[in-house]
Amino acid sequence: MQFEQLATVPDPGAGPEVYRQHARTWLRANLPDFMRADSPDWRAPTLAESSAWEAAMYQAGLAGMTWPKAYGGHGLTLREHLAVNKEIGALPMPESVSSIGKELAGPIIMAVGTEQQKQEFLPAILAMRQYWCQGFSEPDAGSDLARLRTKAVQEGDTWRINGQKIWTSGAAKAHYCLLLTRTGTVADKHRGLLMFAVPMDTPGIRVVPIKSIDGKESFAEVFFDDVVVPDSARLGAPDEGWNAAIRVLSIERATNRMYRPWRFECELRQLIAACKSDAQLASALDDGYVQRRVGDLVSEIDGLKGLVELTVARMLRGETIGARGSLTKLYWSECHQAFAGLALSLLSQVGPHSSPLARRAQKAFTTAYLFSRAETIYAGTTEVQLDVIAQRVMNLPKDLT
Amino acid sequence: MSHEELRPEEFAQAAEAAITDALSRPDAGAMAQVLAQAGLTGVMAAEEDGGLGLSLDFALPIAHAAGRLRLPLPLPEQILLASALAGTPQAAALAAGERLAGIAWQGSLQSGHARLDNGPADWVLVADGAGAALLDASALPRDEQAALDPDHPQAWIALDGAPVLARLDARAWDALQRQAHLLLAEFANGAAEGALQAAAEYMATRVQFGRPLSAKQAVRHLLARMRLLQDVSSAAIRRATQADEYGAPRDTRPALAGALANAAFVIEKAIHLHGGMGFTWELPLHRALRAVRKLDAAFAGLASGNGRAFIQSV
Repeated sequence: MQFEQLATVPDPGAGPEVYRQHARTWLRANLPDFMRADSPDWRAPTLAESSAWEAAMYQAGLAGMTWPKAYGGHGLTLREHLAVNKEIGALPMPESVSSIGKELAGPIIMAVGTEQQKQEFLPAILAMRQYWCQGFSEPDAGSDLARLRTKAVQEGDTWRINGQKIWTSGAAKAHYCLLLTRTGTVADKHRGLLMFAVPMDTPGIRVVPIKSIDGKESFAEVFFDDVVVPDSARLGAPDEGWNAAIRVLSIERATNRMYRPWRFECELRQLIAACKSDAQLASALDDGYVQRRVGDLVSEIDGLKGLVELTVARMLRGETIGARGSLTKLYWSECHQAFAGLALSLLSQVGPHSSPLARRAQKAFTTAYLFSRAETIYAGTTEVQLDVIAQRVMNLPKDLT
Repeated sequence: MSHEELRPEEFAQAAEAAITDALSRPDAGAMAQVLAQAGLTGVMAAEEDGGLGLSLDFALPIAHAAGRLRLPLPLPEQILLASALAGTPQAAALAAGERLAGIAWQGSLQSGHARLDNGPADWVLVADGAGAALLDASALPRDEQAALDPDHPQAWIALDGAPVLARLDARAWDALQRQAHLLLAEFANGAAEGALQAAAEYMATRVQFGRPLSAKQAVRHLLARMRLLQDVSSAAIRRATQADEYGAPRDTRPALAGALANAAFVIEKAIHLHGGMGFTWELPLHRALRAVRKLDAAFAGLASGNGRAFIQSV
């Protein structure tokens, strides 16, 4: 694949609309047809193809917008980040194969890493030379990280790590694991937590893929048996690093994959176009109930856009987002599940006689329906988000004061 | 104080005080007088008509406060008509609170009847071909529908021979509808916020099983969902007031449809959370529910219409 390499990204002083127009023009000119989920020629891109695409996006100024220039970023604000994300959402392009690096490991390293770590990792993440996986969840510590068991023991200039992680997306392809361990015992609960950047080729690491509901093997169990890493792999001091990471995570929850509502709208358009392209399916669009459900989704997507834009406006004013990211996470995950449910039912009669667009949509949205089961689980389950909203947004008392 | 110094948020406090004052008055006419004296009815009206000449941004917090405090008057409609009819004697009368005006969202001059859901009103704006006509409805025969709201019934009004006081052309009527969608959405959202606040406060103080009910996860999660929907409505309305990325006005209908559905959910659940008390006439939440359900009736079919419009746009 060859992508148009732009020598310069627009001057952000020209305003976010100029930047958005650049994103729009570049993405539409360069996104390969086979990567478009609405193309009858769609196929799953290989890792190398996805990587090349994302590297080209980065070169064109469409990734790492808010990262400092010193670490390979474009040194821009959330304003340009949002402008670009609207255009990313408007096209049915594949999800990033490096979102853990770009949206989790990168921002955390930026907050807690040493200068050397920042130089080593951050530019490599943006240039798609390094993929990361996230080693937080354990069999006994999903929503409740206080029950984390994976243990790190300091031995001179090295650390010895033993334990097990689970639901680790992209572990098989990752170069590094953002690993959360504890330095004491489980009785310490949230104290003594320590993060590492662990190279995945370190002896003692074993990756066992898990087949997921959508038939893929993209996540895994990862075992750490006497894995020894140098002290330079440590990200921050015990406690201090993790506390900084929590703050990063709350911002990430509110700002990651900001393109979602625009992508959901794009998917809804694809669904309607697919139905319109097929005589049998088109008649369903005259049904008042279907129109009502589409109308409800349009309102929900509008509301989600509003939440995202309000978050950006607040952050640009320097306000803290705190627990409010939970509102956005809860809303988008349920909104997308509602869409996927509608798509599944509208496309249930697709067969060999159906139009190519309808057959493509049925494959894409059946997968989306199955994958969307995960959306109310990962990044904090619905129940965790509801707890956070009740506790930290609404301050609802649990006892009489 | 010059207008340049005014900010919509500051206006919200003055609106709260004036509406609270108005609610202590015996009838709609007296309430309108209080609101007018505080500048609320004329907030968007031209200065020549006795108004403040401010933008929709200043009317939004007023509509929100009216919803939150359950003001039983068509204040959002009055604000907009006092502005849209600029330069007419009617605009001045509405800004001064001498008359009350509402908008009939169902029916038309051509069909001979129209329904006023959010009243009471002396004057009613009714669709008239591509535009709209302001009618003096005070002497027109009406069939009151008191089932949903006996205190402030919906009314089907017979329009034959109705005196037309003023007309809006298609463009002005379209602009008025867009602004009305936003103000009424904010009115419903205010009603939802009031109900949510009442429910959250009650749950925090009502002790059962030795603890406040807000300690119960089922209650906490329901309140959190109510808060989510109320926040979503606010965000959607805010967004719909802003031009899109290309400077064109945004479609206001999805924000209104969402705000009405979200408000109905929040208020219904707030009533539920009040237990037996929620079912009483004494607790005022039923008034909020009636107001929002009347708006829902006024804009019947809005959500499916939005769906149809989206489908046609593809």
